[in-house]
Amino acid sequence: MFKLALKNILFYKSRSITTFILTFISTLLFIVYVAMMDGSHESMLKNALKVYTGAIEVYKKEYRDIGGNEYLINDVKSIEEKLSHIEGIKTYTSRYETYGLLSSKEISSAAMVTGINPDKEAQMSQLKHTLIKGEYLKHDSGNCLYVGADLVKKLGVDIGGEITFVGSASDNSFAADIFKLCGVFKTGSFEFDAMAAFVTRTYFDTLMYSENKASYISIALNNLDEVDSINAHIASKMDTDIESLTWKTLMKPMVEAMEVDSVFGYISMSLFYVVIFFVIMIFGFINVSSRVREFGTLRCIGLSQGKIRTLLFYEMFILSTAAILLAMPLGGAIAYYFSLNPIVIEGMSEMYKDYGIISDEMPFAFNLLTISWNVATIYVLNFLSIIYPVSYINSFKPIEATHHV
Amino acid sequence: MIRLQNVNKYFFKDDPREVHALRDINLEIKKGEFSALIGPSGCGKTTLLNVIGALDSINSGKIYLESREITALNEKESTELRLHEMGFVFQAYNLVPVLSVAENIAFIMRLRGFPESQINERVLEVATLLEIDHKLDALPNTLSGGQQQRVAVARAVASKPKIILADEPTANLDSKNSQILMDMMRMLNEKEEVTILFASHDEYVINSVNRIIKMNDGALVD
Amino acid sequence: MFKMILKLAWNNAFLRLSRTLLVIIMIAVSMSMMLSIQGIYDGMTLNMVNSALRSDSGEISIYNKNYRLDKQIVNDIQNAGEICADLENNPSVKAVSVRYSVEGLSATARKASFSNIIGIDLEEEEKFGAFSKFLKEGEISFEKRGALLGAELAKTLKVRIGSKLIFSTQDKSGDINSIALKVRGIIQTNNLVIDQRALYIERKQLYEFLGVDTNTATQIAIRTDDDALINTIKKEYSEQEVKSFLELNPLLKQMEDMMVIFNSITFTIVMLVVFIGILGVMYVSILDRIREFGIMRGIGMAYNHLRTQIFLEALFVGLAGYSVGAILGFFALYYLQETGLNLSTYAEGMASFGMPTIIYAHQEFSYYSNTFYAIVLSSLLSVLLPLRKIKHLHPIDVIKADT
Repeated sequence: MFKLALKNILFYKSRSITTFILTFISTLLFIVYVAMMDGSHESMLKNALKVYTGAIEVYKKEYRDIGGNEYLINDVKSIEEKLSHIEGIKTYTSRYETYGLLSSKEISSAAMVTGINPDKEAQMSQLKHTLIKGEYLKHDSGNCLYVGADLVKKLGVDIGGEITFVGSASDNSFAADIFKLCGVFKTGSFEFDAMAAFVTRTYFDTLMYSENKASYISIALNNLDEVDSINAHIASKMDTDIESLTWKTLMKPMVEAMEVDSVFGYISMSLFYVVIFFVIMIFGFINVSSRVREFGTLRCIGLSQGKIRTLLFYEMFILSTAAILLAMPLGGAIAYYFSLNPIVIEGMSEMYKDYGIISDEMPFAFNLLTISWNVATIYVLNFLSIIYPVSYINSFKPIEATHHV
Repeated sequence: MIRLQNVNKYFFKDDPREVHALRDINLEIKKGEFSALIGPSGCGKTTLLNVIGALDSINSGKIYLESREITALNEKESTELRLHEMGFVFQAYNLVPVLSVAENIAFIMRLRGFPESQINERVLEVATLLEIDHKLDALPNTLSGGQQQRVAVARAVASKPKIILADEPTANLDSKNSQILMDMMRMLNEKEEVTILFASHDEYVINSVNRIIKMNDGALVD
Repeated sequence: MFKMILKLAWNNAFLRLSRTLLVIIMIAVSMSMMLSIQGIYDGMTLNMVNSALRSDSGEISIYNKNYRLDKQIVNDIQNAGEICADLENNPSVKAVSVRYSVEGLSATARKASFSNIIGIDLEEEEKFGAFSKFLKEGEISFEKRGALLGAELAKTLKVRIGSKLIFSTQDKSGDINSIALKVRGIIQTNNLVIDQRALYIERKQLYEFLGVDTNTATQIAIRTDDDALINTIKKEYSEQEVKSFLELNPLLKQMEDMMVIFNSITFTIVMLVVFIGILGVMYVSILDRIREFGIMRGIGMAYNHLRTQIFLEALFVGLAGYSVGAILGFFALYYLQETGLNLSTYAEGMASFGMPTIIYAHQEFSYYSNTFYAIVLSSLLSVLLPLRKIKHLHPIDVIKADT
């Protein structure tokens, strides 16, 4: 049957060529489109993640929902001690965040001022690498303030300039100080650059009475793919009033937004595939219906319905495989190339900054598993398309078929 | 070999269009016969051939191939029967267009799982008998009508069936090719000892066969 | 003669029913899916545009020349009252909204967030953009230092109706000033900027709090149906910055453009594949009957009549598919217009993109008319190739041709 199928394919050229081309184009398009979609989503999430959010963050329960100083972590050292024994954790650092007012001589602005451990922070996030002016914080930077570019612009201060801080300490008492602008950063994340400022914890803790306290502890991992298992491990080591959350929860809106985008992407693609499915089915049907008499004769001389199914299955298998064998490496190569050399759309980040897009690059995702299921889907669609033609041809009685006009 | 007992067949039974296509047929075809069902158009000869070949069902009666009753078989069993016990030659569209002459002849043997060496030997033997051995690699569309029918006959006889049923095999042939075909089929009947039953109204067929079974209006006529 | 050709075409179009039905189903399913997708995407875009128009800029907005670069009190519009009065006398102006806005910090006992306090007049806003329709929870009221919060801001601050919050900012004299407010209502505009940061209070109250003149504004927003009005306003108030909706929302303009491009590409691809489908069926159908055509030519039927018959056959099939597709598409779009596409599973994600959780589709006559023209064109073009095959053949050759 396989040889016969091969010969039929070469003989009935128009159907074979149409099916081949449509399968080739749809496979290629699917692989490239999904690679582009997944790549841009991954990139958006990773870029947003890199900026500041940890892969895992440890909070006191209710801090995120209710907030306030009662829900600060009060024993950072013991938690960090536990974390130091957990495999897979690259590094961790505690952050003390507070909202307050920063003022230059004439302008005041609300800001989120955070006490950080500069050395650990440099390993965790993009803060150090996004320095554009002045210098990054050090362990002994004292009252140096490291501020987002848009906030600096608003306050109208330059390096060395004074900035007053007014807020409340961890015991709810009034806290105020004068800082010096030592460095400016620009992450590209609009929200962040317009509102965030950082101070070294060794200095900030004395102002805020926050020694051994933290709003949360941020954790970086060696391998982001192990986030769920490591999170489970962390949770098992912590006290009951402490919770640990992965970036998937912390960045839930963005994760969901990417999922919605994917859903819409697939909906749009599905239209394309529905149409192709029908065309392949129609060409298959036409081909089969023009061979009714031939099949009738074969049924008369002893070819069973099962063998006819097998024959038509082989025909579709050969055509699909040939097209996919061509399209898959090509699509994979395109995905691979653009995963290493992302497409750059100038001005994209500026345009979409409100949506958290911080890079003009749009890399593709190269994932063999994804490409495999893309290909499997095309196979399945192609095989589904011959169900009707097969049932049509087998619905004839042999003698009916030989007289078919 | 083939025995029909009180066979009746209707088309559109219990319908205003009802046709009593086969009326109380009792017939016996012996092994090795070279016979033909003859009669005017619409007399039921093709219908009778079809029911003998398990291609169509009957409304009453029984049909036996040797000792096996073939009227009670289901679709799958009928197909198996045709594959293993019978050979067919039709008026037209006999051959698989994408297969060569050799491959067409070998088709049933391959379906039945004969070993390749046996197939090749038998193909050559039968093709030589039917004088188409010089066209073994040709495709059907390069052959004349007569040559195509000879390939169909070769295919039918190659797997050594018990009986060959040929429905108007000469209908699309000119007189010369009709004569050639009939001569060759007679030769096969004698040499291969295969039973051949025709349904035809062609004089070349009538003049070639040993036994004529007349039909009219769905019934056998003495 | 034409009646006979029509009858021949009609009968032949549906001669091979299974084949024809397949093509009809293909056209119908593709078309209804395409219409639904187009309707949803257009609905999404229009929803975002409508939200932005109603909740923020209107078709035209007037700002101080320096305001958008540096959003300080010093960069407000000084003679807002006069401008407003002038505008209200303009017959092309449907509604005007005067707003005063500053950035600051909203805080409860436990949470804080950056926000924009916006002083508005409720009556003006109602006329401007049916403001009350944005209400998600509570009531539209500024009674007793009442405030209305954007839904995302309310979530960040973890406030409910009746909660208290403090808003702090720098007032006109440069001092840090705070005002205590009570949450009376939570609104959802699906305009990202508003929902994440807006805190609405009575405009008069804001003037008092900031110490600014009541004749000032940071934004004067205008609703109009007159496309030419923008140029008039730009000339008249050349000392201010006058921007159209699209100039203020280049992202939405880009989204609209991208939707048009996307819909056009989808449309073209679908129609192309439909064309291939019809071509396949018609080609085989004609080849199957080439002897019949040869005989008709032989007995005296002119090629033109034959061509008309074949064109009509293709049209019948195409239009049958279109009719079924249009009906299916209409019902699908009607359902999506009334019930909408519920994406509440992705509520947070949708909100982060400034989109509602239920997306209502849009429907336009052009969806159906464009598809109609495309299907007619596809159907007619699809038979050109098969027609060429029989055009140059002598009838006797056609009769002898292999099927």
